[in-house]
Amino acid sequence: MKKISDITIIDDDAITVFGLRKLISSSVECESIKSYDNGKIALDALTEFYNNNKQIPQVIFLDINMPIMDGWEFLEAFIELPISNRIRINIVTSSIDPFDQKQWEHYKSKSHHLITFNQKPIDRNKITEITQVA
Amino acid sequence: MIKVPLKSNTSYLIRQLPSPTAFIDTNYNIVQTSDKWTSIFNKNDEHNNSKSLFAVFPKLSHKWKMVLDNCFKGNPQPMGIHQTINTNGQELWFEWTNAPWYDTDENIVGAIIQLSNITEAVNNELELNKKELLLQQQAEITKIGRWEYNIADNQLFWCSTTKSIHEVTPGFRPNIETALFYYKEGHSRNAISMALFEAQNKGKSWSNLKLQIITATGKEKWVMAGGKPIYNKGEVVGLIGTFQDIHEQVVADLKTIDNEKLLRTLIDNLPVNVYIKDTESRKVLVNKAECEYLGINDPKEIIGKSDFELYPFDAAKKSREEDLKVMNSLIPVIGKETVKTTLDGKVTSFLNSKIPLLNNKGVAYGIVGISMDISTLKEKEKELRNIINIASVQNKKLLNFAHIVSHNLRSHSANFSMLLNFLESEEDEDEKKNIFTMLTKASNNLLETLDNLNEVVSINTNTNIEIKEINLHDKVVDVCNNLSPFISNNKSKIENNIPASFNIKVVPAYVDSIITNFITNAVKYRHPEREGHVILSVEKKKGYSVLSIKDNGLGIDLKKYGKKLFGMYKTFHDHKDARGIGLYLTKNQIDAMNGKIEVSSEVGKGTEFKIFFNEKN
Repeated sequence: MKKISDITIIDDDAITVFGLRKLISSSVECESIKSYDNGKIALDALTEFYNNNKQIPQVIFLDINMPIMDGWEFLEAFIELPISNRIRINIVTSSIDPFDQKQWEHYKSKSHHLITFNQKPIDRNKITEITQVA
Repeated sequence: MIKVPLKSNTSYLIRQLPSPTAFIDTNYNIVQTSDKWTSIFNKNDEHNNSKSLFAVFPKLSHKWKMVLDNCFKGNPQPMGIHQTINTNGQELWFEWTNAPWYDTDENIVGAIIQLSNITEAVNNELELNKKELLLQQQAEITKIGRWEYNIADNQLFWCSTTKSIHEVTPGFRPNIETALFYYKEGHSRNAISMALFEAQNKGKSWSNLKLQIITATGKEKWVMAGGKPIYNKGEVVGLIGTFQDIHEQVVADLKTIDNEKLLRTLIDNLPVNVYIKDTESRKVLVNKAECEYLGINDPKEIIGKSDFELYPFDAAKKSREEDLKVMNSLIPVIGKETVKTTLDGKVTSFLNSKIPLLNNKGVAYGIVGISMDISTLKEKEKELRNIINIASVQNKKLLNFAHIVSHNLRSHSANFSMLLNFLESEEDEDEKKNIFTMLTKASNNLLETLDNLNEVVSINTNTNIEIKEINLHDKVVDVCNNLSPFISNNKSKIENNIPASFNIKVVPAYVDSIITNFITNAVKYRHPEREGHVILSVEKKKGYSVLSIKDNGLGIDLKKYGKKLFGMYKTFHDHKDARGIGLYLTKNQIDAMNGKIEVSSEVGKGTEFKIFFNEKN
């Protein structure tokens, strides 16, 4: 398995962040895992990385329901960034609202990034499967 | 001169007798004739004397010989009437009479025959018979009977038609009293009695009296009676008159009147507007409903008027074009939805029909219009649409809520299962402790979530929320007192500009929560560079009491967050106390009181919330 350099978790729920970190670090090799409390902070950080030619994370775990800027708003802004590498974005949610499913299909078709939709809870096998370079 | 047995100078006298006279002897031979006789029967004044009477008049009845024989015995009898032709070929009728002819010794020597000309009388009688016949025929055809009343002998005569109208037998003999009883008691009998009295006593005639009789068989009939007195030497001696059966006519007339009445009643009482227009689109007929719609009492006020006098020009023009199209194409307009505005500005929705009226050549001579006022229906339709809208909004809200509930519970349960999974395989004691802390936190979060959901459910399901009138000014004062440590700690100032006497009808607990929430938010999200200042004021607007809560705080970017402002678990500030439930609950409480909420804001300057309390509560 190819080693992953950077993984980013965007979620306002501390427990989920804790769980994801724990799962990822015990299943895949990676250099760093960063986490952000909401879409706004994450977008600001990633934009700064891009502008300064820093490493953009290869895999992003994205929650949908977050304060200030939610997962969809983050996606909307993120796919506008002219990043040529194909980034893997794993949406992780407990939502069963058909609206969210539609949003996912919308962004999936709109972007060259790999966007997946994953229902909570996430187990070890699932993490291994979705934590790969796109 | 002929030789006669008893020729004397009396023969000269005989010749001069004024009536046609002949003397015959006992052998029926004509002995002497008057000049009058001669001029009637003898051509060229030639005398037929000494010829037998029966030879001269071959058509004379031979029975007359016996009559003459009796006369010769001194018993003269009337002979009868005989038709003859005079010298000019005219038909003449004579009545023959005879008397014995005595000589000077009182011996019967023959008979004197005298004729009286009754031609005129006979002709008159024939004429009379003819007239009688005509009259009878006429009576039978026209059903006009005759009657005559003779005052002197109190005799009443009915002709056969009069009898048949009364439905009595041909042999029936009426008298004036029974005749009156055939008239229906009441108006009819009174009227005919009066007419009879006036004719007899004042010589007045009457005509065209429309009366009812009850016939001998008990049938009710309409008749037309007329009568006039007849005079003899200036005195009323009787009455004559006519008697006509007009039952069928009257019944038909009554039926026509009834039908017309029925039609009119129908048209007038139909709950739709009915009118008829001529080819120039002028009103010819309008019903009550149309009159009421146009605000007039008497149809005469609009008969003859066109739409141009009743509606604004553009509408009238459009209507006129439609009329013409219907009359030219002969295709009716049926049930077309039309909005009409009268000159005084009344707007009505109609279901409009226009049907061409055709003459017997198939050409339209006008249109009949039927319009049904569907304004109330339209209003109902609008209401219904509103209700559907409300229902669909509610439905959306419900579905949204269901998703929120599902999402929140699932996210907590996912956390639980994940943490428990870790715990199972974790060997490091410190990490175990860490996971336990997480589990406790997850459990607390779940409890809080359940509390929030419970609160939302109770607002939305509490159907018999009690509405009370409260003083808004005092309510704000109460809330500020409760929040005073929080407000002063945050260096904020509340300005209550609500009039001291301002009351609203609301659910008090909701208003408490709403005001608390907005003031808390305003203070919580104050601008860090200045003192917080919250102004509360109120105004009345279109059935609502509008409470304004205006602050000078951070403001919200409504372009970005407007849609989600009142959503559940949405927060828009990077603030550690933000829970994202307050405005969601507030919105639900306002909805539950049939109110609404508006917001305006400018980032960095402040926010104003307007809460609309429905005055209809």
